[in-house]
Amino acid sequence: MPVPSSRHEVNSNPRSKVIDCRAARGAAGPSCGAATGSPATGAPIKVGGIHGNAAPGDFSSATDAAAAYFDCVNANGGIHGRPVEYLVENDQWNPELAAQAAAKLIGDEGVVALVGNGSFVEMSVNANRYAEAGVMAMAAACAVSECFETPNIVSTNQGPLPSSVGAAMYAVEELGATSVACIATAIPSSGNWSCGAVEDYMASKGLSGSSVLMNPSAPDANSSLLEAMASGADTILVNLPAGLGIAILGAAEEQDLGSAYTWISSTPLYDASVPGALGSYWDGKLYVSAELTPLDGEGPDNLNWKAVMDAFAEDDDPRDTFSQAGYLAARYFTEALLEMPADALGDRAAVTQAVRAISGKTSDIACGPFYVGDADRHMPNHAGVMVVLKDGGFETVRDCFEYEGPYFAPILETEAALGLR
Amino acid sequence: MTRLIPYAGFAALAVLSYLLLAAGKPPAVTGLFLVSGLAVGSLYALGGIGLVVLYRATGVLNLASGAIGAAAVMCAWQLQQWAVPGWLTWIAAILIGVALSLLYGRLLAPRLAWRDPVVKAVATLGFALVILGLTAFAWEDDVRKFSLPTDAMGLKLLGMRVTVTRLIVVGAAVAMVAAIWLYLERTRTGLQMRALADDRGVSAMIGVRILRVEGIAWGLAGAIAGFTGLMFGDLIRLDPVIITFMVIPSAAAAICGRLDNLGLVLAGGLAIGVAESLLTLSPVLKSVRPTAPFVIAALVLMLMQRNARLLFAKD
Repeated sequence: MPVPSSRHEVNSNPRSKVIDCRAARGAAGPSCGAATGSPATGAPIKVGGIHGNAAPGDFSSATDAAAAYFDCVNANGGIHGRPVEYLVENDQWNPELAAQAAAKLIGDEGVVALVGNGSFVEMSVNANRYAEAGVMAMAAACAVSECFETPNIVSTNQGPLPSSVGAAMYAVEELGATSVACIATAIPSSGNWSCGAVEDYMASKGLSGSSVLMNPSAPDANSSLLEAMASGADTILVNLPAGLGIAILGAAEEQDLGSAYTWISSTPLYDASVPGALGSYWDGKLYVSAELTPLDGEGPDNLNWKAVMDAFAEDDDPRDTFSQAGYLAARYFTEALLEMPADALGDRAAVTQAVRAISGKTSDIACGPFYVGDADRHMPNHAGVMVVLKDGGFETVRDCFEYEGPYFAPILETEAALGLR
Repeated sequence: MTRLIPYAGFAALAVLSYLLLAAGKPPAVTGLFLVSGLAVGSLYALGGIGLVVLYRATGVLNLASGAIGAAAVMCAWQLQQWAVPGWLTWIAAILIGVALSLLYGRLLAPRLAWRDPVVKAVATLGFALVILGLTAFAWEDDVRKFSLPTDAMGLKLLGMRVTVTRLIVVGAAVAMVAAIWLYLERTRTGLQMRALADDRGVSAMIGVRILRVEGIAWGLAGAIAGFTGLMFGDLIRLDPVIITFMVIPSAAAAICGRLDNLGLVLAGGLAIGVAESLLTLSPVLKSVRPTAPFVIAALVLMLMQRNARLLFAKD
């Protein structure tokens, strides 16, 4: 079992000060918003959410969790007595529908903000619209660069870039990786963006990295695997949606390559259904970067997330990383609005200002503090956990550690300016 | 002798692809891509053979065969989750393929029998979308894997491990070519199928029992679609959308055989698979890999239709 590097352990991390100051939340019943125990009765506050749910993927668990949290808030006094009316649209991975959804929510419904968004498409299409409309999107299932490099979108999840860099960093420091081949989809602003950062990280360490970008609809996973092998890498980073990742690992298993390479993955393979789908062949061989703390964590906020889901979500709503992220986005948003004057809750500009003022929000679900700030890019979540596939589940091999690499330099500067480090 | 020219053409395409795209790279690496391409090409050929069998018998290019295969393998996976023995789930998949194919072949296809071939093909596309919609409704997007016991067995070929499942695909493609050729050429029902494909009206007048013969063809095509779905689900990935649209490269392989010659479908499918796989070696051309089946099919149409009958048109 690899030994965690103490340099990155929670207790030696300057950001860990806030991690230890976790919100005290009970494990018995859900605790939400003002926690009054009586339902909100005032005029509703309209909040939007957009997810992608169609083949080849369902990103709706973040909005499911946000909806559950808002239902819980509404049952507990709402926000200054006003319930949240949460309006969710599905972009079906279609840019035209994504634009229509944003136009409907922002223009027709007049939402004060968007919360829990999750899509490969929506953010790329609507980032400019959000900035022009002066509305903030507190996303939770982001996967493209526009989520993290535009002024009006901030996400509680990491997306593929930090998650991949974290996996590569662990492989270099603990597993002896010297050359990483990163396999990702050839989706603009996603695969090239995240694998490019891995290449930069490897170069910054004097090591080598390469990218293999595959067409997500290409049936042949073998060729991408062979391309990664042909790069001369000793480590293969699977940076793909879970279905495609399973296909690549299936092709690797067919070639019995489990022990010939070091296998690492970004977060999509940190899913409860993955160990069963992969089988025992990958036991102890696949290391996965989890962008939030483990789903079965016993921290008070993680227990509260589960309690909220049990009390207010459907039984078949997924309890996955995106769900945790959706819960966090809704929780931070609610807390920001609770700090606002009651008469400003319907004012989009005031809500945007309140969201931008979020700073130092903590949870045991995330490894670092959440903040927004008045910046032209936002990536508050850039520390995570590494797990290994073990005995039909996952086992933590390194607790919270902060990612390194050239990409994060301007983000760290912003955090220093905000007094977070 | 001239009948061998198209085969030589497909072989030349594969060799040319190798010489152009693998030049200067270690044979140990390029050999892997070659074998991988043959493995994928055999899947295209298998799908193409199913299309041609039905087309030769009924004049229908069944674009729903991928969706039928997807539904079949999803049902097999579901039965596996319910702890049904593996061999029963495979039989069930093939029977579901037969049932779905017969459903269309007996209920809808006869009503379109007198329409143009393109109309018949587009109608099957509608059926494909219905099946895909129902499949997506029944099984929400999730992480799933379908495997066969033969995945664990294999042999090394040019440095690449080839599983018995892939060998089954190649063997099944070759065996189907031979068996279906024999069936169509040497049996009375086969003769009736060919007569139907040539002229439905005349066949009816000379006493061919049209619905019965067409039913056999649709059932046979459904069984092939079910089997192909099992192979796609295992070797490609268990994703109904991906399996449904595997019919597109399969159709390209079928066009390589001019929707008629099963041997050429096999050769064309393998050539497409090899060219597509080797394109990965080119930093410039790898992004156009998915277009390889269509480019090759278009070239085949241009080269082979000269002075010959047109596809998608009555002679």
